[in-house]
Amino acid sequence: MSKVYFSTWRGEQINNIGKSDDAWENSAYNLPLEYNEHAHSKAFIGWDGVALFNPDVDVVRLATEYAAQYQVYSEACGRCAPGRWGGRILYDLLDKIARGEGAVSDMEHLKEVSKTMQETSKCEIGKTVPNPLLDLMTHFESEFMACIENQKPSKHYHMEDTNYIAKITAPCMDACPAHVDIPAYIEGVRDLRFDDSLMATRQTMPLAHTCGRVCPHPCETECRRTNLDEPISIMELKRLGADYETDHGFGFFHPSEQKASIGKKVAVIGAGPAGLTGAYYLALDGIDVDVYEELPVLGGEVAVGVPEYRMPIDKYNQDIEAVRSLGVNFITNTKVTADMMRQFENDYDATLVATGTRISKKVYCDNERPEIQGYWGAIDFLDKVNLQVKYDIMVPEADQKRHMLPADFVDLTGKTLVCVGGGFTSMDVVRCAIRANAKKVVMLYRRDEKTIIKNTTYEEYHEAVEEGVEFIFHSAVAKMNDENDVLKSLIVDRYELVPDPNGGRPNLEKIEGASFEMECDYLIPAVSQSADLKLLPEEWEIERTSWATIKTNGKDYMTSRKGIFAAGDCEYGPMTIVNAVGQAKRAASVMSRYVVSGEITLSDDEIMEDHLRKLKVYDKKEKIQGWLPGLPRQHSEVLTVDERRDNNREVKYGFTQEEALAEAERCMRCYYIAMVAH
Amino acid sequence: MINFTINGQPVIASQGETILQAARKAGFYIPTMCYLEKTTPCASCRLCVVETDKTDGLILSCQTPPTEGLGVTINSERLEQERTNIMRLYDVNHPLECGVCDKSGACDLQNKTLEFGVSAQHFSAKEQHRKIEHWGLINYDPSLCILCEKCVHVCNEIIGDDAITLQFGGYKSAVIPKNSEKLDCTFCGECIAVCPVGALVSSEFQYSANAWELTQVPATCAHCSAGCSLMYEVKHTSTSNASDRIYRVTNDFEHTTLCGAGRFGFDFDHQSAKDPAEFAKAITAIQKADAVRFNSLITNEEAMILQRLKEKLGVKLYNEEARAYQNFMSAYSSISGKTGFGGSLDAISQSDAIIVIGGRISTDNPAVRYAMTTAARHNGAKVVYMHPLEDELLQNVVTQFVKYEVGTEEGVVAMLAKTLLSHEDISEEVRAYFDGLDEGYLCAESNVGDEEYARIAKSIARSKRKTLVLGSDLLHHNRAMNIARLCAMIETYTEFSVVVVAPSVNTVGVSLICDLDFDKGGDSVIGYNAAGNYTMGSIGEVMLNLPALNSQEGTFVNINYQVLPTNVAVAFRGYTLNDIANELGVNAQHTIDYTAALPITKGFNGSSFDNLGNFYTSLGEDTRGYLLENSDVEANGILEEVENLPEFNGTVVYRCNPVNQFNGYTARTAQLEKEAALRGSAQFAAAAKIGDGDKIQIEFTGETQERIFKLDAALKGTIALIPAYDVAYGALNEQYRFEKVKIMKMGSES
Repeated sequence: MSKVYFSTWRGEQINNIGKSDDAWENSAYNLPLEYNEHAHSKAFIGWDGVALFNPDVDVVRLATEYAAQYQVYSEACGRCAPGRWGGRILYDLLDKIARGEGAVSDMEHLKEVSKTMQETSKCEIGKTVPNPLLDLMTHFESEFMACIENQKPSKHYHMEDTNYIAKITAPCMDACPAHVDIPAYIEGVRDLRFDDSLMATRQTMPLAHTCGRVCPHPCETECRRTNLDEPISIMELKRLGADYETDHGFGFFHPSEQKASIGKKVAVIGAGPAGLTGAYYLALDGIDVDVYEELPVLGGEVAVGVPEYRMPIDKYNQDIEAVRSLGVNFITNTKVTADMMRQFENDYDATLVATGTRISKKVYCDNERPEIQGYWGAIDFLDKVNLQVKYDIMVPEADQKRHMLPADFVDLTGKTLVCVGGGFTSMDVVRCAIRANAKKVVMLYRRDEKTIIKNTTYEEYHEAVEEGVEFIFHSAVAKMNDENDVLKSLIVDRYELVPDPNGGRPNLEKIEGASFEMECDYLIPAVSQSADLKLLPEEWEIERTSWATIKTNGKDYMTSRKGIFAAGDCEYGPMTIVNAVGQAKRAASVMSRYVVSGEITLSDDEIMEDHLRKLKVYDKKEKIQGWLPGLPRQHSEVLTVDERRDNNREVKYGFTQEEALAEAERCMRCYYIAMVAH
Repeated sequence: MINFTINGQPVIASQGETILQAARKAGFYIPTMCYLEKTTPCASCRLCVVETDKTDGLILSCQTPPTEGLGVTINSERLEQERTNIMRLYDVNHPLECGVCDKSGACDLQNKTLEFGVSAQHFSAKEQHRKIEHWGLINYDPSLCILCEKCVHVCNEIIGDDAITLQFGGYKSAVIPKNSEKLDCTFCGECIAVCPVGALVSSEFQYSANAWELTQVPATCAHCSAGCSLMYEVKHTSTSNASDRIYRVTNDFEHTTLCGAGRFGFDFDHQSAKDPAEFAKAITAIQKADAVRFNSLITNEEAMILQRLKEKLGVKLYNEEARAYQNFMSAYSSISGKTGFGGSLDAISQSDAIIVIGGRISTDNPAVRYAMTTAARHNGAKVVYMHPLEDELLQNVVTQFVKYEVGTEEGVVAMLAKTLLSHEDISEEVRAYFDGLDEGYLCAESNVGDEEYARIAKSIARSKRKTLVLGSDLLHHNRAMNIARLCAMIETYTEFSVVVVAPSVNTVGVSLICDLDFDKGGDSVIGYNAAGNYTMGSIGEVMLNLPALNSQEGTFVNINYQVLPTNVAVAFRGYTLNDIANELGVNAQHTIDYTAALPITKGFNGSSFDNLGNFYTSLGEDTRGYLLENSDVEANGILEEVENLPEFNGTVVYRCNPVNQFNGYTARTAQLEKEAALRGSAQFAAAAKIGDGDKIQIEFTGETQERIFKLDAALKGTIALIPAYDVAYGALNEQYRFEKVKIMKMGSES
């Protein structure tokens, strides 16, 4: 809900100009009324309409400036005849009218060019730029005609009293926490310019191999093609650029040239996705970066958590090498302590905490005592599996004993493993257990099949089922039974969904008498993880969230202590790789300004990014024109169960070139321009 | 197969075909300005919009495949209106300089403007002043450019130079060199060919002729064994000279691709009057001669004349290049049971796995490079390049470079065959042969480890269309015959098809037509474009001038085993080989009378020259000449043991021409760059004790050359590249291409 004078946004028709206060109608959308803490917005104009927040807006100038943006944001245009010339003609004619030299025929020409652009442009920018212009010309025709008839400039034409801030976006870019320029990287695939594709990705996402494989792709949920048939397979298309670079042994295609050193130093704590991303963009800006990592290997949870069959380490290492190639200094086997943090304040110009969440939470059942053998936290379990599979780092003797392993790697031959979870981590646990040759692998989940698919992916769940994982839904562990501190069995309760008689959300209720005992050797809690924040000196009193993560405002990622930033899971709680990347990218941007000026600022682009996310770019009700429905989404080939269940080969082959091109061809290039006047 | 309708008529599209492609096949016309059949759609002009019964808005036919049952309308008032408006936009501020524009008369913008009846500028926009760029052989005028992106697509997707890109800037967009100030490319000129307007033009041709004044002579390029189709465009030389001259070369760029040598290296014709006294001397010399030595820049018909002369006069025929090829192929056939190999340029471009071994493919045969680029880009082909020298031009194509030691080709091919055959159904005997290879020795001596072969096997494991490309290093290897047999094993027992990249335009033809003798020299050897006691031809200082290949009609056989006709661009006034033959009692009225007489036993089909097609249809069907029959022969060959691998220590040179240079013809054209230096790495310079710019003397077995040495940062190791095109009768194609040499410093260039 927004208070506006006038709005045509998303087809609404609100006109409060001249109306008394009690007759005002509000806009149904989250329009950016406040540009930032210093400025009120005067108007918002974009692909789907225009809204005025101030009665004094010069609409002729507003239209002209919006048309001008189309010329400025040339990266996305200039690629088709109607857009290239049409856009210029729109601007020239509007400016002619605005400066008081227009003719009545110019209005007709504007409409004619607009129609051709709407019908035939290559991307949505060309198709949609005319939309708000035509709205203004229709609803404020008299203001345009006044300029023409009087041959006088528009009311603010010669005044520099308004800032016009524009931003290019797309539904997928908006949905992506890292705001990756998805249409550009898909265009790179379509045009067989894979270097351009990769550089487009790396503008905001350095981990192209990784997020071409293990991203839960929220972008695909907000892909506009969904309105027509099925979403584009956005995630997998990211691999083509990355593979091109790797396969041909090119150096690294960075999105821009690295700046010369500016003599500033930043410490990054944690070499996971957030740490790597932060380091990458700080280094690109000419800042010297030291990354401290507790583990002997780089990559964080993607390295030691995500299994090889989903994320081959040689590919991830390529992403890591791209970061290293900018001169980032990695210090492994070093757990940062509070004392070190105190020292870092002197040694570095800023610090980014990106330590993730590496403590497995308990399942909260009776007799849940960590000393029971067979009780094994998911994070530690996956560490042991992955360190051996990926790096040949064997399980130390003490841990072998602790976890009753017959060898110096995770061998579960003859054993039954039960995992409690429902998210990606638990899926990784059960599928790794299958590969470790367990006799029986069971996943206990409180909710149903539909929810587990929603929380992970359809493929992930089905592949696990195919490999032999037994899923027991609506279940939870009630008690661990042990003999001399060795796990023997579990008591499992069953639940059912009971509809709320008042029409609310159904409740999970325990089914009395349905509980059963289940023999097992291992119980792996994978319900969630929490952050280990012992490195933060107590006297700093860094604010925490109610989930015991580090608190920031979610925009600039500075903690309550100046110069200390936090990004990724340690800030948000256990979330996705792409979320960590997006946060760290933003943090790096803020930090690289902070180390120079000492100020915490957001760029106009970042401010607009946040406004648009609030407004939401994707409109699932929109009817798509100009694209033929029914072209099927491509699916890449997957190893058969027999080919994959006893080894760590990558399960997904990735697209063949033919599949990739057919898929890229489906992308509709839904770029839009949004602009705020303030 | 997808059934749909266009304007109500049923049309069938095959899988992956777009509406535009299916429409064109079915004979429907949809206008386009940016569409290029051989690349992915640029989708910039938007003229190809169509209406359908399943969409509200207009959809783009060039990038949309039809769905089952779709009803497409390609003409309607609405479409006409939008297309006309697009043309009106294209015409905004397009400079009105058609009177002097090279493209006028053959310009897509002119054609479409006329087609849509745009007779005046309907819209206006601020005029821009834009600088014309001079990029050597190519000029670019951004104000004429319509930004269709064809040039950018072809440069990246087909050629592989990836040298130009679009600078996005809305109305100010332009084509610019990619990653460099000035255009840095191999100057194939394909960007000029595909440019629909006069924005990209040949700097030499510019302002020299109008399109409609030129006569097009369809011909076959004489520079390498690809035998590309081209058009010599000729007109009178000047107002004071009525004789024809070639002004430029063009190609049917929708379906064919030409390299810079073909496009810019056309003026190698020479002229001579008839001198009866010299002619008489030539006749006498041949009558007394023991042998005729000739190279493979010769038509099939002339090769046939030489064969007839041999039969009539008993002279021997020397052509070491073609003889090596003949031997290689006969050994090959002894295993494969076929007269020829099974691959072709098309097979390469359709591959999703390619292994190249034993040649500097990018410069030896640019058409093979373009086919590889096409495969790499469009099919994501895995490309394994095996050679002692890495090739910078192939970096964006090659996915695995395997460096082997000079001379160890037999060992490498044996190990490769073993790798590729490991899961195939082969006889116990053959299995035992490969099991018996001394892997440790072969890997150590060739410096190619087990893991590299394993990586090859892994990377092509999912490939379905595979090609093995054999370069000309192999033809003159001491162990060429056994290498051929090993390669034939691969083609016979795996899914690989093979292409042998012959060195010259008609090496293949000569090898099929002539009964060649081992060249043991002699005191009375006639040299036809080759060294001899009496020399004739069109290359080098000859005693009797005969026509160059752009002054001849006749046929060649290229690496596709395709018989390709070529025609006279510039008439030659002197004698021809046929005149000599007639004098010696081998009679035929015209040289091309021999076309029908080419040996049917070798796969020729007896067609006469005038019955040979020489063009591509509008849908890209190749009507040029015909394919030789690949017939069955007895497969009685036996693999020999791999011999001890030789070592090449010290300073080694590799005979290898610079980009766009091939032979005595290209060496004398006006536009092509004539790089003649020995090029080597810093390591080579140190080993040879020479420096950049030094004048040096190189001693080979049998000859001495003086050259300038240039350091080349793109090279590594102790092998330098030595050109051969500029030595009239060079050894490039007659010996193993690597040679250990002595190098002496003579002085400095400056």
